[in-house]
Amino acid sequence: MLVSDLYELRERFDDEKILLCFNGPISRSLIEEIGNALRNYLKSEQASPASAIDVFAVYIELTQNIRHYALKSGLTGADMATVVVSFRDGHYHISAGNLVRLKDGESVQSAVNALAGLDKTELKKRYKEQLRKPRDEQATTGAGLGLIDMARKATAPVQASLKPLANDTGYLSLSVQI
Amino acid sequence: MSMNDLKIVSTQSTPLIETDSARGVIYMEGDSYPENSFEFYSELVAWVTRYLKDNERPLVVELALLYLNTSSIKVMMDIFDELEEAHQQGREVKVNWRYDADNERVAELAEEFKEDCSFSFNIIGQE
Repeated sequence: MLVSDLYELRERFDDEKILLCFNGPISRSLIEEIGNALRNYLKSEQASPASAIDVFAVYIELTQNIRHYALKSGLTGADMATVVVSFRDGHYHISAGNLVRLKDGESVQSAVNALAGLDKTELKKRYKEQLRKPRDEQATTGAGLGLIDMARKATAPVQASLKPLANDTGYLSLSVQI
Repeated sequence: MSMNDLKIVSTQSTPLIETDSARGVIYMEGDSYPENSFEFYSELVAWVTRYLKDNERPLVVELALLYLNTSSIKVMMDIFDELEEAHQQGREVKVNWRYDADNERVAELAEEFKEDCSFSFNIIGQE
């Protein structure tokens, strides 16, 4: 990208009310540093302690899920994360995407969609059930507890989209509104 | 402090953890969101198991934890389950969880743990 193009990129960020954006290989230390920046931003914007903790929690679950998936799947490029936090219409939106095997993306998408119709009481029940499952069982179902936790914190159903790409892979995006 | 006690300093993503087997106290303070919570908490989990096995004395858990990622929540639940089992067998067990009264999310988190424990579990808001 030419230097002169950055202004347009910035305008796009401003239009979309994006307050934080990252695109590239994500590491443990980057998750912490960006998380720190996010917390400082929320503090300076005087977000309520409850919203600040919810936004941070969702950010951590989304990015750590990507890290765990990248390590577990061994899929080349799975650790290239796109993370966006925006504030629109009185709500924070935390989104994260990465490359996945198509079948893994489909199972996350169906898990997210299965939670979409549940009310807070049902979500809490699912959460407690998941918490009691043996760790091995959790590992096979992937990010079970994290997805339920995000659904509980969200003020609208979690959005999951999957764009099929070459070689049985796809780009999985999750978006959570607080 | 005996040889077996823990003194783990806090980092940005992990809490301070101290144990005192002579007094029967565990103290934890800060945020907890390590990438691998099971690995991070393995020493504490082993300490709790050994303490409960080695003697009959009471155990008090003093907490000033703030944010926990879901894998840390899972580990804490496992620890509370072990305390519950000891309590059912007659052990004196107590948890005191102190939090900043402005931050209701911490109280809600603590409350959900408390629901599954029949031992003394105090959630103490501080101004």
